[in-house]
Amino acid sequence: MSELDILFYILSSMSVLFGALVVLTSSPIYSSLYLVMSMLSVAGIFMTLNAPFIAGIQIIVYAGAVLVLFVMVLMLFDLKRETKAFTKGRFSGFLKLVGAGLLCGFIAGAAYESVSLIMATSEEIPTNIAAAAETGFSPTTNSIKEISKLLFTKYLFAFEVLGLLLLVVPIGAVALSRVAGGTHAKH
Amino acid sequence: MGSDVFEISINFVKMVAIFLLMVNLVPMLVWVERRGSAFIQNRFGPNRVGPLGLIQLAADAIKFLFKEEFIPPKGNKALFLIAPIIALIPGAIAFCSIPLSVPIEISAFEMFGSQWGPYVFPFQSFEIGIGIVFVLGVSSLGAYSMLLAGFGSANKYSLYGALRASAQMISYELAMGLAIVGILIVYGTFDFAEMIAAQQGPLSIPLFEADHVVNKVLGILPNWGVFYQPVGFILLFVSVFAETNRLPFDLPEAESELVAGYHTEYGGIKMNMFYIGEYGHMMVASALIAVFYFGGYSLGTTLDTILVEGTIVPNMSALFASLLNLFGSGWEQSTNLINVVRAFVFHGIFMAKILLFLWIFVWVRWTLPRFRYDQLMDLGWKTMLPWALANTILTAFLMLFLR
Amino acid sequence: MTSLTPIIVLTVFVAIFGVGIVVVSALLGPKKNWTKAKKIPYESGLPGQERKETKIPVKFYLTAILFIVFDIEVVFMYPWALTYTDAGLGGYIFGAMAVFVGLFIFGLIWEIKSKALEWD
Repeated sequence: MSELDILFYILSSMSVLFGALVVLTSSPIYSSLYLVMSMLSVAGIFMTLNAPFIAGIQIIVYAGAVLVLFVMVLMLFDLKRETKAFTKGRFSGFLKLVGAGLLCGFIAGAAYESVSLIMATSEEIPTNIAAAAETGFSPTTNSIKEISKLLFTKYLFAFEVLGLLLLVVPIGAVALSRVAGGTHAKH
Repeated sequence: MGSDVFEISINFVKMVAIFLLMVNLVPMLVWVERRGSAFIQNRFGPNRVGPLGLIQLAADAIKFLFKEEFIPPKGNKALFLIAPIIALIPGAIAFCSIPLSVPIEISAFEMFGSQWGPYVFPFQSFEIGIGIVFVLGVSSLGAYSMLLAGFGSANKYSLYGALRASAQMISYELAMGLAIVGILIVYGTFDFAEMIAAQQGPLSIPLFEADHVVNKVLGILPNWGVFYQPVGFILLFVSVFAETNRLPFDLPEAESELVAGYHTEYGGIKMNMFYIGEYGHMMVASALIAVFYFGGYSLGTTLDTILVEGTIVPNMSALFASLLNLFGSGWEQSTNLINVVRAFVFHGIFMAKILLFLWIFVWVRWTLPRFRYDQLMDLGWKTMLPWALANTILTAFLMLFLR
Repeated sequence: MTSLTPIIVLTVFVAIFGVGIVVVSALLGPKKNWTKAKKIPYESGLPGQERKETKIPVKFYLTAILFIVFDIEVVFMYPWALTYTDAGLGGYIFGAMAVFVGLFIFGLIWEIKSKALEWD
């Protein structure tokens, strides 16, 4: 039980617990706060996997920007009316059944796929060191510089297309905010 | 946390000590603010309680502890109580990850009969390979304390104040992040200790040789980041005022606009915890400015080797050795003692720089008037963001030719 | 070099410190004394004027969305800045990022011109 093992058990149980609490609470603000805790636990798991940069970016972008947006937007609503709309009624009951069925299906599928991984001994698990050596980058050097070199050489097109995708987001948001009757509607 | 008992215990003590350093600096900062603002406004500050009014802050803290605990009955009790605790955490964790001095290297010594191996203790609570990315990420978590405080008090003015405060904070985080990209291009590393090491020595332009007349004239100045990135320095300096909700950007706390913004319904020690969080953020911001642009814990040029290593450190360690000799058992001037004294001397230099920037924070607060909210957001999005982008592109362009 | 245990220990310590302060203050304070004035939200002394539907403007949402987009751009610039001065890449890496930043500058100019950031 090395230090990494204890950290892994604590962090993964925290992220699973908070993830379960996200879907089990009825108040949306509590859901987003539990999601923040889950994201921070995942960032901790990234750090134990020797990817501190990805952990930092997870905290900056996910927990520090996206979920701040969620919490801010949830404060713009009248929450009691929204929670009531989803707790009673036949249609929402059907949705709940479908959701529960999907969750059980996902858990069963994931368990089925990973049985071979759990049962395997360490020699049978494929490692990617040989594949990584082909690309010319070794996995032991500074990982941030390796990531960025890969990003700008091999995945350059994906990077530029990502910029284009991100350009669509504010245009869509501004267009959505001009709905009639709102505070920003065009006269 | 360390491999044997000595290392683990020293690391734990160091971690707690740096956090307590931050917490204890807050009352000093409040005293400086009250006396300093009084000095600027040509009046006396608190000067009755204790010498120069220094005990005033302890008296205030104890008074706050004895106030009645008030939770708005219609509010969300859990969020109301958690928000001030979340206000403490980002500032504390960010401050603890900045190296405050050179690492202490202790060679093998013997104590209580067994050999304790050579250690290197970095002078920070914990080491992070991605220094600045971690500090930025943790600072952006500070928006949650405002939002939860505003939401938990069932008061629409608190809610509005919380939304405005967090919108202001996230707008200026962009300018801060982009100003830091400029510094990253110049130094090429995330780690604070490496950045400080790159700022040693005299200033020089790499295009000319070492004994060119331009380099000789510039050699008077230390190799600090502020000479490489002056625009970045101004951008970061202004952004941290907005990040920490200090005047001239302190509309979330303004009394004429929104009562007291997101902490209207708070009283007693819970409101004070917001201020501890705000002053903690100010300390982190001052430490960041000192590390990026003013050389951190080194004095620059050749003053480091001549003044500090040559005269101050041996004299102080001789003083300490003679002081410890008063308690018996011959303490000679071993290298361990010199290393410890050296670390504390550099720490003193770093704290002097941090205190200078904190004084500038206080000074600006009582000099400038407050921005209106739309002026504030216009400044953040339409002025600072384009300037920051231009600074980054210009730096990148120049670095193509200088390297 | 990066270890997570001190961070977790420090976070727990700071949280316990904060909780301790609040608990001590709750224990030491006088007994709760609910007067009528304390029960309504504070509005500078005026009688409470809470209405059911206070509309909050949508510009907070726009600011937050724009912040996410530019934050992702800044996050992509961090590894770019690190490997910028490495040998072998030169002006190519500057051009790659210049196209990316150009897209965002176009988005920012469009946002400013379409008055989506006014009067915040």
